[in-house]
Amino acid sequence: MKEWIIETSGLSKRYKGRYAVSNLNLKIGRGEIFGFLGPNGAGKTTTIRMLLGLIQPSGGNIQIFGQPLRRNRLQILRRVGSLVEYPSYYGHLSATDNLEAIRRIIDAPKNRISEVLDIVGLSKEAKRPVKGFSLGMKQRLGIASALLGSPELLVLDEPTNGLDPAGILEIRELIKAMPREHGITVLISSHLLSEVEQMANTVGIIRQGEMVFQDSMASLREQAHGSMALRVSDSMKAMRVLAQSGIPSQHEGALLTIGQTDDEYVARAVRELVASGHAVYRVEERRKSLEELFLRIVGEGRGL
Amino acid sequence: MMLKAMHSDWLKLKGKGLWFLVCLGPVGLIAMQALNFGLRYDYLKKSYAADLWGGLLNNIAVFVPIALLMGITILCSLLANIEHHTSSWKQLLALPISRTAVFFSKFAVAAIMLGVSCIVLALGSIALGLGLGFGWALPLADIAKLGFYPFIAALPLLALLLWMCLTLRNQAVPITLGVVLAVLSMFAIAEWLPLTWPLLAYKAQKQEIFLAAGALGGLVVLLAGMVHFARRDVD
Repeated sequence: MKEWIIETSGLSKRYKGRYAVSNLNLKIGRGEIFGFLGPNGAGKTTTIRMLLGLIQPSGGNIQIFGQPLRRNRLQILRRVGSLVEYPSYYGHLSATDNLEAIRRIIDAPKNRISEVLDIVGLSKEAKRPVKGFSLGMKQRLGIASALLGSPELLVLDEPTNGLDPAGILEIRELIKAMPREHGITVLISSHLLSEVEQMANTVGIIRQGEMVFQDSMASLREQAHGSMALRVSDSMKAMRVLAQSGIPSQHEGALLTIGQTDDEYVARAVRELVASGHAVYRVEERRKSLEELFLRIVGEGRGL
Repeated sequence: MMLKAMHSDWLKLKGKGLWFLVCLGPVGLIAMQALNFGLRYDYLKKSYAADLWGGLLNNIAVFVPIALLMGITILCSLLANIEHHTSSWKQLLALPISRTAVFFSKFAVAAIMLGVSCIVLALGSIALGLGLGFGWALPLADIAKLGFYPFIAALPLLALLLWMCLTLRNQAVPITLGVVLAVLSMFAIAEWLPLTWPLLAYKAQKQEIFLAAGALGGLVVLLAGMVHFARRDVD
């Protein structure tokens, strides 16, 4: 039996008659990196705020570490680190003082400050006022604050927003290392599938406040199985050759696409083509379809 | 828990210039009276000949409520802005600390700073009186009352303005209210009106009533603010 770190049932939040989140059943197991996906305004941040006790749900239950959030908020929050949307910081204070202001509340050991600054690579900037930091550095300081209390659960709302590619990569590696090195469970939200795809092992997709998909990353990939594109000398003839050997394909201009991507199948297709005298210039895997699947899931039910 | 929050709030004050403000109020009041007595020294000395110190303190006392309420307004707004500025509420309130502790800590920090203002005012009054040559027969009790009595009577307004500053993102509302209240506080409009208590707490015959009303009213408004703050959604 898997241990659920976060478990919500029928979680809802209503703002002036409109549901921002409705009937959300979220299940996140220990040691998972859970990617929480959805377009802007789908209810990700609202959900995360409810998980942190920042806003009261209009209905439903939240259990974190197996305890009800409503009753044991403080005990739960002691084991949670969070970063909600754009980073919060005190601009007039240095990075160290920012962390110290939090440390005084959570009672972490003093040397933890330099530890977390080291983890996010801000040790050299520790004494500068934070208002002079770049957005990426502020974001990293936010992650440092989240890590300060050595949490068991890390809740990160769009942590790579506004970062440059190098920064995104850095944060991604940092997050991926969390479950491995510290046994931390991570909930990370994003509106970009491509970003979550590279970190998460479980995904939940939310649309207009409702969870429309929740399963492992592998199963999402399966549903989105890719295709192979081949560029050949004569695509019309090549298609016929493939059809004769029982490999269905479509042609778009000079490209042939076949629906399956396993090695044997592709090798056979290439062998057939070469054997019948076709030149094969390129064989490419098309992975765009995962993004397409995501857009389809997210786009369903939305009028044009 | 309360102490942890205050310990943390203390650090956040660093470099915000709040202590400058805390001193500016009383120093301004003293400077004004220094000018007043300096310009009309002989005339005022003659009219207050019976009680030189009392005359000085009464002159200062007229302006204590307005300075106090202005100070409360600006102080509350600046304290609240430390958190509003970069929306630090969501970070602060997601920490394992109760919201009542967060709220009370802000109140306590504001109250301590205002207390320091009152002490500065007392010291300033003594310095001015001595400087004017009013002699060493210091009316110490009255000097202490000069700042602290109006301050205690102003606790309901402190709690109200702090509550508004902490919960409203738009600081224009509490600041406008605070300034209007400050101006009106110079007039003894009606005894039942909390706004007049800071003035009456020093001037009236039955000072104790206004002190008690201030302390009690402050407690009630503080508790109401806490309950509301603990329940509201943070965005």
